[in-house]
Amino acid sequence: MIPHALPRRVAAFLLQSAISIAPRDTLDWAHAMLAELRHVQGNWAALLWSLGSAGVLAKHALRSLIFPSRNRPTVLSGGDLFSKDGPMRRPALAITAACLIASLLFFVAPVFRQAFRVSLFPWQFLFKTDYSRLSPELQSIMKKAEQDNDAEALAFVAFRHPQSSESARLADEAVRLDPNLVWVYAIVPVRASSLPDRWVSTLERFDPQNALPHLIAAKKIDIDQVVRGNVPHRAEDNPPAWQSAMAAAFKSAKLDTYFSQRKALDCRVLLRYHVGDPDLIADNAWFYGLPSYSLSDAYRYAEVILASAQVLEAQGHTKAASEKYLSIARFGQLLSPDVRAWFCERTQQAYTRLAILAAKSSRPEEAAFYAVLADPKRQTEAQESSFSHRGFRSNQVARWDADLARRSGAVMLLSGALLVATLFAVFLRSRSLRLRSLRPGRLAIALGVSSSAAFLVSSLVLRLSYQPYAEIWQHFIRYGDETGLTNLRDFFARAYAPIGSGWLTPEQDYLSYFWFAVIVLCALALLVAVLRYFQSRPRANATI
Amino acid sequence: MKTPRLSPQTLRVLEQFAERPTAWRYGYELSSETGLKSGTLYPILMRLAKYSLLETKWVMTEDGVPPRHTYRLTANGMELARAKQTTSRSGVRVRRTAFSGSKA
Repeated sequence: MIPHALPRRVAAFLLQSAISIAPRDTLDWAHAMLAELRHVQGNWAALLWSLGSAGVLAKHALRSLIFPSRNRPTVLSGGDLFSKDGPMRRPALAITAACLIASLLFFVAPVFRQAFRVSLFPWQFLFKTDYSRLSPELQSIMKKAEQDNDAEALAFVAFRHPQSSESARLADEAVRLDPNLVWVYAIVPVRASSLPDRWVSTLERFDPQNALPHLIAAKKIDIDQVVRGNVPHRAEDNPPAWQSAMAAAFKSAKLDTYFSQRKALDCRVLLRYHVGDPDLIADNAWFYGLPSYSLSDAYRYAEVILASAQVLEAQGHTKAASEKYLSIARFGQLLSPDVRAWFCERTQQAYTRLAILAAKSSRPEEAAFYAVLADPKRQTEAQESSFSHRGFRSNQVARWDADLARRSGAVMLLSGALLVATLFAVFLRSRSLRLRSLRPGRLAIALGVSSSAAFLVSSLVLRLSYQPYAEIWQHFIRYGDETGLTNLRDFFARAYAPIGSGWLTPEQDYLSYFWFAVIVLCALALLVAVLRYFQSRPRANATI
Repeated sequence: MKTPRLSPQTLRVLEQFAERPTAWRYGYELSSETGLKSGTLYPILMRLAKYSLLETKWVMTEDGVPPRHTYRLTANGMELARAKQTTSRSGVRVRRTAFSGSKA
């Protein structure tokens, strides 16, 4: 049997518990409900009274959690003794303002603005809708270069123009103004899919010993085949023009990608036009080198040579076979160390055959020499020292710095948005722009202080993580110092990767996924809060 | 003065206040007279107070017993209650006329 007093005790306990979570502005009413409970006749009626009252208080508590200071009393009653509403908390405002001013002061420094731009790289895919448009910086350079007939600046823009036809026009104009810039033709096609035929012949005449024009010619044939959807499975099935272009490339005495000329030109133009945008070199950092199809073409053509050399070997034409193997080895040597690893399998095969042929011809010293060159360990070392491995495995510091920079940028964006939303909500609620009349709730104060502090800390981290690369960039632009260029290139390559994508890295970025989920949930909560605010704000014709 | 649209429960509370306009009323008393539960009554009282239609006061009843919250309509509240009572009566008259088929 339930004691008569128990429901009343439960009712009192329930209502007192509800009072402990009730917002300040409903405390008067909460105590009023509790005071009435004493006068309710009947224990079960008291419990029902308490349940109804606790429901009202819980609803207000929930509402005040979402909308701080939402239910501020508009009428001061005689029982205002329970109210604890005070003036705006000045220390909180001071901390928020100090953090915000300190963060904004960072933006005064050009290096920080540059760092902030870099940190926004991963978000470009969200906001950049038209990839065929030239950036405003490049547009202004192009306009000025055309006015001043600046051949180098025109070439600079031609390297970076997203439209092939415009890129070709600018390159032609640059060469017309300065015939010494014919090498520009070798750089522009690296990015452009369409290539005027006359460019290859001009390049061949300009630099007859260079393999690059032949590789460009082969690339043009490759692209035509891809466009027509007629890509041969075997290298032998490529058209004769491709075969002859590759044969000429393998016979060439040198392979000059004009990297140094381009670098020098970039530095001169960036200095002349006072450009502080690392994006302009970062965007092209990966393309300093061979045309995109060349390594694949070389690999496949080497396969053709190996097959034909083995046929010659079988027919007893040892000397002719050796010449073919040597042509592969020679081409491997022409490649820069950065990309040599991609071709090392073919050079190893060539050296192995040369070693066997030398041994058969009773030339033991020569055989030993080729055997050393064909040694898999040696090839592995070459591979380890190649650009790709240095870039993605050994150069951890640049990767970490880039991760720090892009995450700092993301935190800056998030905390900035949160701060603006909080301020907007406080001003909207107060319906005044005067600081004295602002009465933010605890949640608004907590959000304001924490988001401004997060903005400051992330600004500081971004500044520190970008500092070494800003110095590398400045040294490169001003003095042509290439000491840290690899680090700079690795930093930018990583900075471009969308956060959490695991792009260019073997491991997945689970930490980013977690924070992404947190951000999405916060954004949803904010959205719900805003919707609730507009749904529940008092209106003139509201039902009461 | 804002003239909010009133729910039937709010009208019932206003009617109770209008019966004894000068008297201070307790929450439980209003609940008993209107038949509204505390979960319905108090939000109505809170909103009436928010719109300055209701004044509230804490009163001491006897020693050792906590003070009680009491309520009374303000001048605006009384004006609104009377206006709504008049509208309600005329509405009833119109309806009766319509259903009875006789002219008003």
